[in-house]
Amino acid sequence: MASSTSPTLQVCRDCGGGAPVDAHFCPQCTKILSLGRHGDYFQFLGLPRRLQLDAADLERRFRELSRQFHPDYFYNATAAERRASLERSSYLNDAYRALKNPVTRLEYLLRVEGMPASGSTETAEREGFSRAAPPPALLEEVFALNEELDEIREARANGAPAKEWKGRLDAARLPIEAKRDAHQARVDELSAKWDALVDHGGSDAAKRDVLQALRDRVLERNYINNLLAGIERELNTES
Amino acid sequence: MSHVVGIDLGTTNSLVAYVKDGVPEVIRDRQGDALLPSVVSVGDAGTIHVGREAERQLLTEAQHTAYSVKRFMGKGREDVQHEAEHFPFRVSGEAGGVVRIGLGDKEYTPPEISAFVLRELKRRAEAFFAEQGEFDNEVDRAVITVPAYFNDAQRTATRDAGRIAGLEVLRIINEPTAASLAYGLDKKHSGLIAVYDLGGGTFDISILRVEDGVFQVLSTNGDTHLGGDDIDVLLIDKVLAELGGGSSVVSGFSRTPEQLQAIRKAVIQAKWDLSARDATEIRIDDGRPEGLRYVQAITRAEFEQLIAPVVERTLGPVRQALADAALQPSQIDEVVLVGGSTRIPMVRRKVEELFGKTPHSDLNPDEVVALGAAVQAGILVTGNREMLLLDVTPLSLGIETMGGVVSKIIMRNSTIPASGSEMFTTAVDNQTAVDIHVLQGERELVADNRSLARFKLRGIPPLPAGLARVQVQFQIDANGILSVTARELRTDVEQTIEVKPSYGLTDDEVERMLLDSFEHAEADFEARLLIEARNEADNVIQATEKSLRNPDFAAIDKEELAPGERQKIESVLAGLRMVLNSQDRETIQKWTHALNDATRHLAEVMMNRSVKAALSGKSVDDV
Repeated sequence: MASSTSPTLQVCRDCGGGAPVDAHFCPQCTKILSLGRHGDYFQFLGLPRRLQLDAADLERRFRELSRQFHPDYFYNATAAERRASLERSSYLNDAYRALKNPVTRLEYLLRVEGMPASGSTETAEREGFSRAAPPPALLEEVFALNEELDEIREARANGAPAKEWKGRLDAARLPIEAKRDAHQARVDELSAKWDALVDHGGSDAAKRDVLQALRDRVLERNYINNLLAGIERELNTES
Repeated sequence: MSHVVGIDLGTTNSLVAYVKDGVPEVIRDRQGDALLPSVVSVGDAGTIHVGREAERQLLTEAQHTAYSVKRFMGKGREDVQHEAEHFPFRVSGEAGGVVRIGLGDKEYTPPEISAFVLRELKRRAEAFFAEQGEFDNEVDRAVITVPAYFNDAQRTATRDAGRIAGLEVLRIINEPTAASLAYGLDKKHSGLIAVYDLGGGTFDISILRVEDGVFQVLSTNGDTHLGGDDIDVLLIDKVLAELGGGSSVVSGFSRTPEQLQAIRKAVIQAKWDLSARDATEIRIDDGRPEGLRYVQAITRAEFEQLIAPVVERTLGPVRQALADAALQPSQIDEVVLVGGSTRIPMVRRKVEELFGKTPHSDLNPDEVVALGAAVQAGILVTGNREMLLLDVTPLSLGIETMGGVVSKIIMRNSTIPASGSEMFTTAVDNQTAVDIHVLQGERELVADNRSLARFKLRGIPPLPAGLARVQVQFQIDANGILSVTARELRTDVEQTIEVKPSYGLTDDEVERMLLDSFEHAEADFEARLLIEARNEADNVIQATEKSLRNPDFAAIDKEELAPGERQKIESVLAGLRMVLNSQDRETIQKWTHALNDATRHLAEVMMNRSVKAALSGKSVDDV
């Protein structure tokens, strides 16, 4: 697993001393450490790799660390320290943003565990919605929705009143939303399972199974969002 | 020890503040004015005037005078072409390059014009510290504020202006965030705050969470082309339509740049009046014999009908900012109003309606941003960790990819400093350079976003196509300003990057522009005294005109003034206006005293009436 090969030590570029990889200041010379070898987002914030995080605790850690390395407080420091403060603050901000949102947190976990999901939020935003084949569990809904959307477009082209086609679009949303709710329940269940494995040192094989299942859920979620966005688009299209 | 200040470089007015014993204070000029009009004029001999004297030049030498230059910061000529007609000065510049502003026979970039304003504030502060008996009164460092929604080019232009003025710019901070710092000082705030900042030229909304002294911006939005100026334009167009429509009743109108400025001045006065009264008059007098004279009554209801679309335009960004912060309006604990345009009752009403609570306005909305900038300057210099400001980048940052599509690298509302990286490779064998186009904005296509810069990555080792791996690192610092570095991972070679800002100045250009007093003559001591006398005269003229525009004036004249008293006031007023622009300081002072004397009784009467009105529970009309 990726985690087993992660570095555990970093070197202070100022005094040459060694420091744990999740330290922010050199234990020897107390200077801020430049962002060379560093832990992942979880380690950086001093958190276990759990999916269910206490939001208030995350906020508190973020504020505390900001108070330690923000560039505001290194204005009179050396160029190297200013650089380190800028890099460490940027990394902290990235870490906070990724872990704050449950969706990006899951995607990040999959990545650091060496099982990145294609079509993650990040890449989806960059590349537009993924055009991968629909997951089998959604085939039926996808087929029905596409048919309904075709019919609605045809009805609109023939001058159907807005009230009628808008009602049909609203109705088309219901089964997809039901799928989304079921999806979320499954994600929550898997997340709890993952956290239990983390807390009690589960086997690598057991972890891999849960991660595999979570990765499938990410693809499923993107597809569901994609379908809902398609309905939204049709609603917002001027006739 | 030299001094550090906070500066609010505004569209209409600019201010400077400093921190004294932990408390921020605005620095005033010798007349006690905190606001320095952001107006710059260039005289025939190349003499630069800034502030109220330049404002007066608008009425006599409009084409030599620049105002609202903040709207042009970081812009290309093609961006501003459509609104150039509203300004008396020439707007030019090469296609695809920085805007240039022509004043008389000289041309300036917007950062240079802004630098004149900054230099004036620097002087004001230095004079103040000298008066305080400070041994070293030099002001060489500043925190300067910008609208939160300013893009990279606009921020960089502001920083350049500071450098040109001889200031080390410690930090560029966002105006709404600065305001929240000033508000957070005396009270132990905690909770969700919305800062609604409608200034002369720009609109910002920022949503913050304040906790343990950390001011964390959750989201920001705005429009860098929306403010009091747009309201003025509506009023000017209304007046022009009336002047053009019934030309038989209006004599002396020939649409000169100076007359347009006289109209602009009059509508701004009326706009101010209507923040305190239900009705007033737009009174235009261009000060020339046989010139333009025009009086038109206007009610607050008419005014509100006219400006409703402008106020409405601020609400879209507010809703977007709330959505980006995943908040409902009702979840906001406190709403803070910033910027002179938030004095307009309709603006307050709309904000109150949207959030369902009365906005705060206990600090002067004109001064609060400069105070916050001074607080931030204090934090930087002292390293005091009680308060910390965590701001966000207002716009997403991306690069151009195949087919003219933008690939986003840093999303909007990311806390800054923020970084992002992207991997590039080569398309053909032995390719040693890659072109990169950096953009800012939310739209999908390159053409719809703001071009920030083009880079050429050079020194890539010659390899078969697709083998080179160049990692480009984008870093947005705490000023919200971007820098880029690149590294070829196979060879671990740092790449050279040539930056060509799309609408900015190069370092060499900034160096050449550094203001030096020999080239840019400034008013000498005598001239400064003359200007001060004119400012004093202006104050008395404005106060008198305001009284005359008061809807109650007719009744006061009839019931309380002595026979001939009104005529006396009007004739002294006309006399002072006539000598205002003369070179004779003593004459100006003599007429100023005369007008003061002539209006003393009127001022007392108006004061008494407003006290009576207040006692009887009626709304207090301003005096």
